[in-house]
Order: sequence, then C-alpha cells, then structure tokens
Amino acid sequence: MICENCKQRPAKVTVTQVHNGEHFERHYCEVCANSLHPFYVEYKQDPLSLHQLLSNWFGQTEQQPMQQKQPKNMIVCDECGWSIQHFLDEGKFGCANCYNSFRKQLPNVFKRLHNGNTTHIGKAPGALGEKIAIKKRIEAIRSQMKDAIDTESFEEAAKLRDEARDLESQLSTGGDQTDVN
Amino acid sequence: MSIERFLDNSISSWMAGEGKHSDIVMSTRIRLARNLNGYRFPLAFTEDEAHKIDQSVSSTLLDASDELQMQFSSIHIKDVSELSRQVLVEKHLISPKLANSPMTGSVLLSNDESVSVMVNEEDHIRIQCLFPGLQIQEAYAQADMLDRVLDKELPYAFDEQFGYLTSCPTNTGTGLRASVMMHLPALTMTKQMNRIVTIISRLGMVVRGIYGEGSEALGNVYQVSNQTTLGKSEEDILADLQSITEQIIQKEREARDALLKHSANTLEDRLYRSLGTLSFARIMATDEAARCLSDVRLGIDIGLIEDVDVTILNECMVFMQPGFLQKYAGTSLNTSERDMFRAKLLRERLQKEEKQKTKGEESE
Repeated sequence: MICENCKQRPAKVTVTQVHNGEHFERHYCEVCANSLHPFYVEYKQDPLSLHQLLSNWFGQTEQQPMQQKQPKNMIVCDECGWSIQHFLDEGKFGCANCYNSFRKQLPNVFKRLHNGNTTHIGKAPGALGEKIAIKKRIEAIRSQMKDAIDTESFEEAAKLRDEARDLESQLSTGGDQTDVN
Repeated sequence: MSIERFLDNSISSWMAGEGKHSDIVMSTRIRLARNLNGYRFPLAFTEDEAHKIDQSVSSTLLDASDELQMQFSSIHIKDVSELSRQVLVEKHLISPKLANSPMTGSVLLSNDESVSVMVNEEDHIRIQCLFPGLQIQEAYAQADMLDRVLDKELPYAFDEQFGYLTSCPTNTGTGLRASVMMHLPALTMTKQMNRIVTIISRLGMVVRGIYGEGSEALGNVYQVSNQTTLGKSEEDILADLQSITEQIIQKEREARDALLKHSANTLEDRLYRSLGTLSFARIMATDEAARCLSDVRLGIDIGLIEDVDVTILNECMVFMQPGFLQKYAGTSLNTSERDMFRAKLLRERLQKEEKQKTKGEESE
C-alpha cells in the first residue's frame, strides 16, 4: 500500500480517527504521519498520576525483605479504616487522623512532593497559632539559656529560665488571657 | 439571589482587563484548602457528614457577610442541571470535581464572582479568590480574610508538624495554591516556552494549560503556580511566584519587541488573518478559535490592531466553550453543530464591534 498523503512512499502507519461516531482509517508513510500527527502519544492512564508516583517512591524505599514490608503497609487508620496501602493507591488521605496514623511514614512521601520539606512553616489556626508561637519562643529561650550556661553567665541563665517558666504557665492556662508585650 | 445571573452572563469581574500587567497577566488566583476536625475527608465520608459540613460552612459564611462586606449566593450543586454545572466550570467558578460529585456540596459565590468557596470538593472547604491582572498580595489578603472568619467559628484540621491537613498530600501544609494566568504568545512563537517550563519546574513551580492539570496551553494561555505547600511560609510562596511572574513578563515583552523589530510585516499579516478568520469563518473548532483570539489579543497589546476591546476577547474565550455555547443555543449540540454555532457567535460579536467602529468614524 502507498501512503495516502504523498502517494509516493509505502504506507507504514495506520491512523484511526473517530469523527461523529464514525471510524476512519488512514494509511500514511512515517514521514507524512509524523508531520500530520506529530503529537501521537499512547497511554492508558493519566500520564502522571499521583498515586502511581507515590507507590513507586514508596516502593523504592521499602524494597527490603517482605516481612518488613507487610506489617508496614498493614497500618490502618482507626478513624476512617484506610490502610497506608489504600492511601498510596488513592494518592489521597481518608481523614485528618490518617496523618497521625501514618506519621512515621509520611516524611518520606512529603520529602519528594515538597522539595525535601517535611515540616509546616507558616500560618496556623486561631488559638493554636498563638500556642505555637509561644512554644517557638520557649524553644528559642531554652537555646539562649544553654548558651548562657556554657559561657557561665548564670544570672542571665536564671532570668531566661524564669521567662521560659512564665511562658509555659501561659501555655497550660490556655493562651487566651496572655498579655503579649 | 438566583443562580441565573451567574449562568447568563459570560463576563466575570476578572475579565475587565484591569490590574497590573493586564496585557500579559490575565488573572491571579489564590486557593486555600481547609478541612474540619471530626469529619472524614470527602473521599471517605458519608452523605450524613457531607450534609452537616455543608450546613455549618454555608451558614458561617452567610452569617459573616456583614463582617466581610460581601454578599454570597449559595448554590447547592445537586439542585443544578448538568449543563448549568458545566457553565459554572467553564467560568472557573467551580471545579469539574465538585460538578461531578455524588455527595452533597455547594458553592458560595460573591456577587462579582471574585470569591468562590467550594464546600465538599476534594477538601471540606476550598476558598478561591480571582482577581484581574497581577494582584497576588491583594488576592491573598482577600482569601486570608475569609479564612480567618471561618477559622473563628469552625474547628480546622491542623497538625503542628504537617500544618493544615488536606485530602491530597500535595496540598498539605499551607494548603495554599497561588497561580497567575498569563498570555504568552511571543514566547510561544519564538519557541522559548519549553525552556521556560523546565526552568520554572526546577524552582518548585508548575506551568499548566489554561484549563488546569494536564490540559494543553490553548490559545497560548499558561497558568503558573506554586507546587510546594509544605515547609515554606505563605509569604515566601507568594514572593517567589511574584518574582517568577515578573521575570516571565519581562521575557515576553522582550520577545514581543524582537518580533516587532525583525518580522513586523509577517506578524501583522498573521494577526490580521486571524482577525479575518474570526470575523468571517463559518466553522470554528475550539483550538482554532483560541489561536485566533490569542493572535488578535496580541495585535491589540502591541498596537497593531485597534478598536477591538480586550473585554470582548476575554468574553469570547469563555463563551466559545461547549457548555456556554449550548446554554446560548438553548439546546444540546453535537461537535460539528457546535463548531458552526461558535463561528456564528464570534462573527456576530466582532461584527457588532466593527459596526460601532464604522458608525463612530462616520459621525466624526
């Protein structure tokens, strides 16, 4: 058979077109087929579906002996009943508690999705947002306190200790009455 | 307020052609994904849970309209016909996912359509703000305000380590997706887009076609958005998008100047041919219409084509989509009928423009 387009070279490619429910077959040589249908790609599923990627990534890190793999993938979220395998297959979580149930495995997933990051930075909701801010301040004060002790400035360290205690008591009474100076 | 006004009108506030760099950046969108504690995510929840979430989110937002100085219309997706849903999707007011959801869900729309809050899409709450031109900070401020109002009344699902908890792990953390829709014909014509797409993706950003994930860049319209939502603060995400967008704008302007300098005649010919096609063709498929509209828009932007209003082009881009066409036709149309009806509408729209123009000239 000769190519329908150039009518010179032998036809090697068959293109099936569906138009208004009717199928048309066209026979082209490779040269003409390329120029007429340059974007011909065959794929059965989404070219880049998330769950495929997730499973692959997870598979890579978990390609150790089977005994190890089995119990890990059997972890089940007690709130929605989804297993970690279900999460990987869907590429989605079933509920907020899944994050808690799969906490140990998740950093591995997040690392690849978020440019190596595994921990949230940024906005937090209402009261918790304040609590988190206080906790961060306590951490900062503690590390200053360590430095103070290392340099043997104990007065300074005691001051910082009291400051941290104050903040901690604010945390336990709930941050609402706190007077932020 | 009735849903009809959202369906009949193909013009939304973002199409006004206003805002900074509006010749290149068509619109800026901010989306926040939020979920409520105590209910499973929409993929796993029951109809009963869906109903409760819908009620509490909708009533919270409707009650806050004074505080927000914003009137909302609440539209229950189940009450709306399939064609009307498609029209809402084509106007980017709801997502295909919400339109096809079997569970109870709704969308709350502000009257100017700049704010849409989807309930029970992939997440319980999706706040979306759409602004014309490049207005990343402005759009985020709006979304943040809505977020704070909802946060006061509703228990958000949040974790100290992982941040805002979302159904999809790609949104975990800030739940923030910031995107700009850009018209980049000169970069496309000069074959620079592939290179730019590669560079952008290395910087934690994504480039997509106008109709979202996986879609082609129809009519040279690209959507640039952040990919990373975890481990990066809101401010950094927005600042990075701003700086990348400005650089792309710069490159597009350079490419436009180069085209004008080196091949003004060829360019002018091509752009006017497209205007001719839009004004006179009898059969018009979506991709051809999108390409021609892109050419005419470029012609207006660089001053080669005068007296066509950009607002009309924006409107054409929306109503040439299948759902809208059928809404206008008042009947369902098959592909070839659609192509003819599309050509007719485009012709009428542009000729109306032409008539007004000639009238104006006569009276002078």
